[in-house]
Amino acid sequence: MAETTGFFQDMNTVISDLVEKRLRYYFVVKDEDLHKVVIYLFKTMGCRLSTATATERYDAIEVLYHFSHDATGTYYCPRILMTNKDKPQMSSITRIVKGAEWIEREMAEMYGIDFKGHPRKEPLLTKDNSQVRVQPLRARRIS
Amino acid sequence: MTGNNIPIGPYHPLLEEAEYFNLVIDGETVVDIDMDIGWMHRGHEFISEQKTFTQSIYLVERICGICSTSHPIACVHAFEDVDNIEIPERAAYIRTLVGELERIHSHLLWLGLAGHFIGYDTVWMWAWKYREPVLQMFEIISGNRNHYGMMRIGGVAQDVDPAVIPELNKHLDMIDKKMAMIAKVAKDDPVLRSRLKRVGVLSKQDAIDYCAVGPTARASDVHTDVRKDEPMDAYPWVDFDEIVLPNGDVYDKLVVRVLETLESTKICRQCLEKLKTVKGPVLNNVKEISAGEGLGRYEAPRGEVFHFVKTDGSNRPVRHKVRAPSYVNIPTFTASCKGIPVADALITLASVDPCYCCTERSFKLMDVNHDPCTLDILALSREKTQQIRRELHVD
Repeated sequence: MAETTGFFQDMNTVISDLVEKRLRYYFVVKDEDLHKVVIYLFKTMGCRLSTATATERYDAIEVLYHFSHDATGTYYCPRILMTNKDKPQMSSITRIVKGAEWIEREMAEMYGIDFKGHPRKEPLLTKDNSQVRVQPLRARRIS
Repeated sequence: MTGNNIPIGPYHPLLEEAEYFNLVIDGETVVDIDMDIGWMHRGHEFISEQKTFTQSIYLVERICGICSTSHPIACVHAFEDVDNIEIPERAAYIRTLVGELERIHSHLLWLGLAGHFIGYDTVWMWAWKYREPVLQMFEIISGNRNHYGMMRIGGVAQDVDPAVIPELNKHLDMIDKKMAMIAKVAKDDPVLRSRLKRVGVLSKQDAIDYCAVGPTARASDVHTDVRKDEPMDAYPWVDFDEIVLPNGDVYDKLVVRVLETLESTKICRQCLEKLKTVKGPVLNNVKEISAGEGLGRYEAPRGEVFHFVKTDGSNRPVRHKVRAPSYVNIPTFTASCKGIPVADALITLASVDPCYCCTERSFKLMDVNHDPCTLDILALSREKTQQIRRELHVD
């Protein structure tokens, strides 16, 4: 597919650890290169953001964005790793993709991730609920 | 938020589920909207990680009572994606049949509610009356009118008895006939057109920016349909059209759903025809799922439902992410509700067919001076239809 080849050629220097499966591409991107990759996927290729998944691993907090290229049924999943688990911090993509606002707010409240540049840093699901513990999905170790 | 605020929710007698929208109005016009969700957050993602794969399928089936088979289909797609597991052909047709029947009953449910919101109670009663045979079809196929328990990794839980196919076809004939009648009403009724045309317009660019999915996006000229984009199960083998309309208003959202229902009955017929001749098992024996990541999706009645799983070789997921279509469709209100009259707000909000069980959510109208507003938004919406009727001299 021309789009896929073009993407990996143009982004060759900023992506690593590519895992390729049938119509799915998972790869690691550094935080400083995230906006470049997201602008290419969302604006240049016309991908749609399905959602993002945050996961706590032994060595890092991981955020995996799921971009769907509807014309070809392909998924591009940039992975961001935050090794400072005490203060996980990364760039927000909400100013590029409006559809990322809610999911970034949800990941922030569930995992304590600070999304730099997010226009609205307040909890989405657990606001005004005093019974919910802070960062409810943390403290589970996934290798 | 400054302005005249009209609070609706979280537990409002008009609404079926807990929801809370904050509409800021200036006179009769909505100038801003804010949404507050989380009233129904039940921690499904966390619970799923304590369950085995098969138990997880039952769990996600209970996320929502309306799309209770879309979540399981997306979920088994995700588990199957980890190891590229294939399913038998007969199982593929059964999955597609059950998925499309769910689309028919969900669109009819929405059509009934939309009719009620704008003062068309006849549409409401018709739609819900003709939804009943669909539930009976589910009972014939699975034994249950809801929560069918049909999905398994590697296929489906039970076969469809060929002896019941004529009866299922009879129900489809009736639904086709009635949907054609409703489609004609939607097309010809001057009041309905005046009431819904150019109301709550979501532009194509806004639909793309907010990553909208399903009929909400397709009514705004965005081609996104998982059944066409990444056809799985029996979708590569069945013939159907993707319904896309250009205007983005509530009327187009209604027409998309009505026409999609007719496409769904077409798909169901093809599946039933194939189930007469395609033989074989309906479930592959999947003994284990290896460590890895899997991504599954399905075109639910409201749009793409998305599941992501991470496995470690044990018998349960270590991470299970669920994203329902309403989660990305509800934020489009920010674009579609601004500038519209208050009387149109209700049907605009209802036009995306928001499912709060799936998204966890909530409605409030505010005055520019922060004064509590006691407007009855349902009465306003229904009164506007009456006014159009009087203007058009239609009884």
